[in-house]
Amino acid sequence: MRLVLTAEQRELRAVFAELFARQCPTSLVRDLKRPESDGFPPQLWTALAAAGALGLPFGQEYGGQGAGLFELGLFFTEAGAALCPTVVYTTLLYGLAVDRLGTPRHRDAYLPALCAGELVASVAAWNPSDAGDLRPRLRATRDGDGWRIGGTLDFVANAERADVVLVTATEETPTGPGRVLGFVVRPGGPGWSAERLRTIAGDKQSRVRLVDCRVDDDAVLAGPDGRGLDPADLGWVAEAAVALQCAEMVGGTAAVLDRTVEYVRTRHQFDRPIGSFQAVQHHVANMRIALDGARLAAYSALWWLGRGERATRRVAVAKMHCSEAYKWATLTCHQLQGGMGYVRETDLHLWSERAKVTELQGGTADVAARWLEREIGLVG
Amino acid sequence: MDFQLDAEQAAWRDEVRAFLAENVTEELRREMAVHHLDKPDGEVEAFRRKVGQRGWFGLNWPVEYGGLGLSAVHQHILATEFEYAGAPPLDLTVTSVAPMIIRYGTPQNKAEFLPPIARGELRVAVGYSEPDAGTDLASLRTRADLDGDTWVINGSKIWNSAAQRATHEWLCVRTDQQAPKHRGISVIMVPIDTPGIEIRPIITWSGYRTNEVFFTDVRVPVTNLIGEVNKGWQYITGALDLERGALTNVGDLRRAVDDLIALADRPLADGTRPADDPVLRRQLAQLDADVEVAALMGLEAASLLDSGTIPTVQVSVEKVFSSELRQRIADLGTRMAGLAGALSRDSPGAVAHGRFEQLYRAAPLLRFGAGTNEVLRDVIAQRGHGLPRGGR
Repeated sequence: MRLVLTAEQRELRAVFAELFARQCPTSLVRDLKRPESDGFPPQLWTALAAAGALGLPFGQEYGGQGAGLFELGLFFTEAGAALCPTVVYTTLLYGLAVDRLGTPRHRDAYLPALCAGELVASVAAWNPSDAGDLRPRLRATRDGDGWRIGGTLDFVANAERADVVLVTATEETPTGPGRVLGFVVRPGGPGWSAERLRTIAGDKQSRVRLVDCRVDDDAVLAGPDGRGLDPADLGWVAEAAVALQCAEMVGGTAAVLDRTVEYVRTRHQFDRPIGSFQAVQHHVANMRIALDGARLAAYSALWWLGRGERATRRVAVAKMHCSEAYKWATLTCHQLQGGMGYVRETDLHLWSERAKVTELQGGTADVAARWLEREIGLVG
Repeated sequence: MDFQLDAEQAAWRDEVRAFLAENVTEELRREMAVHHLDKPDGEVEAFRRKVGQRGWFGLNWPVEYGGLGLSAVHQHILATEFEYAGAPPLDLTVTSVAPMIIRYGTPQNKAEFLPPIARGELRVAVGYSEPDAGTDLASLRTRADLDGDTWVINGSKIWNSAAQRATHEWLCVRTDQQAPKHRGISVIMVPIDTPGIEIRPIITWSGYRTNEVFFTDVRVPVTNLIGEVNKGWQYITGALDLERGALTNVGDLRRAVDDLIALADRPLADGTRPADDPVLRRQLAQLDADVEVAALMGLEAASLLDSGTIPTVQVSVEKVFSSELRQRIADLGTRMAGLAGALSRDSPGAVAHGRFEQLYRAAPLLRFGAGTNEVLRDVIAQRGHGLPRGGR
């Protein structure tokens, strides 16, 4: 037990902070937010691949760095502070899912390209509004030496730009629903249609409708011994996604707090910095308290997940704290920066928008509280 | 970072738990419920002697001062387990005064005071606040004047908790009337049986006794001054940081929420359970999540202490968060059983032995005690984020 980052962990954070400071200015964030953008940042992507960030948690045999989930969380923190485009997150998440759910053959097929920055990917394998709900929304039927899958996915992030999307479907058998299987779907192929959604943050989300979408056997993840995906494994991936997003939110919270502290230190009214007023200082202190709680909860969840097992209780605590900390920090920062924080050119709204999306994605604090209620025995 | 107890830390926790299982008896709990910690030669005193025999009052002191040389994380684990079990807590003598003597005391201070603290024989009452110097502590007026090789002390202290069972006052006095207010303060150890000390009890809302203490021409040897003269402000602010850190072990809060969760599962007269109400479940889940976070804050502060810094901002964060959480726990605890939540321990029909009614009255103390949360929020903003002083 030692809740202090090691020298290597601090160094890792510093390296990524520096990379994002150079490669991910808010002008890029604003560009990608436009409806006509596909949300992909070529220059940042190349830099991340070169720095090994896209292979951070994957084995060296695939060209990865062999770091742990906790270290990936430190990367997400710096990414969150800089409002990194979500395609980086969804691609890393796809890699984690293949690593956990796939066979060695699947890893060989996808991870080297992913680590090298040559694969853009996404995952849609749980309820986007409740990551504790793993029931597939799609159906799969056997079709010769492959499968046909159908149904609608309400939210698929970066669906247009992704080369591959991992989805889950319930096998249809003559006797009723069968195994839960994973499918690597290639967007834009026969049977795929996508409709772009417009979110508050301008991140790229689509509603995807699949009709007799054909998937070959080699792109099917059938779990241990082919008996279907193990809910413990799929649940681990979903929880890792939530915990990493929590780390992202920690970075975002810290970033808006820092920006606002800088503002109230330099903005003068009544011949003094407004940051000298106690009412202002107490807003700052409350944000700091919430940030510390969110940070510790997120890192605890990541650390326990990094041991390879589900950590539902800790993930729930993290999502409850991070969702509220990030959202209320952005709203409090709008209050402290007044009109100057409200205009678009000062960028604060970019974090406020991301805070709202991340609050909802995977489950709000209320949804996460239901996970916790089950964990502490309040629900049978 | 490492979020799991290592094998040695887990063995330590188990040792503490085994000690508590054996020594926190029904008789001890009953005595604490009725007499708080104040019954002389009772169960509490016997318990303290056993803790002292194990050397646990000095567990994180260096071995050269009679300590066990264990870490702040060890102390945190012990304090948390003590609170969870409802045992008499380690007092401020151990958690905040002794570390200051180790850090700043003269060789004579150390030789004279540390061994009896380690044995549990020397216990201080902390003499900081005065009627006109509370939150603005540096305005204190109790004075000590040098007369040959003797300090002569005159003045009064308030909120002087535990004076009735202390052997000494850890007394903050003004030793230079001309210096700026933060630079004329010293700390003197005053035996409580010195002539000229009068203790008057003050009973608080929770039933907890504190005191006002008057000093009239109280004479103590010059060597009882801790460290150097006029450096006291530095010592007591350090002691207060440690005090906040020790106060905010959340073993008691973890226990309270565990008890609430168990209560929520117990069928009511009509056969339903409180936990059948989704609103209550949501509130309990929030308290559970918040206690987990508060515990992490405490462990982070202890980890930082072990890495060599006094984590002023972190213990302030922890103190504000956990003290406000304590009030929310007490509030929900009294609301869960309808009007029965208003029943006290000795009433027929009391819920959970009236402990949430008791907690509701006890919880306000920790929001303003050991530094008001308002001042601590200033500390967080100023020392944590570089905002300017002067807005109060």
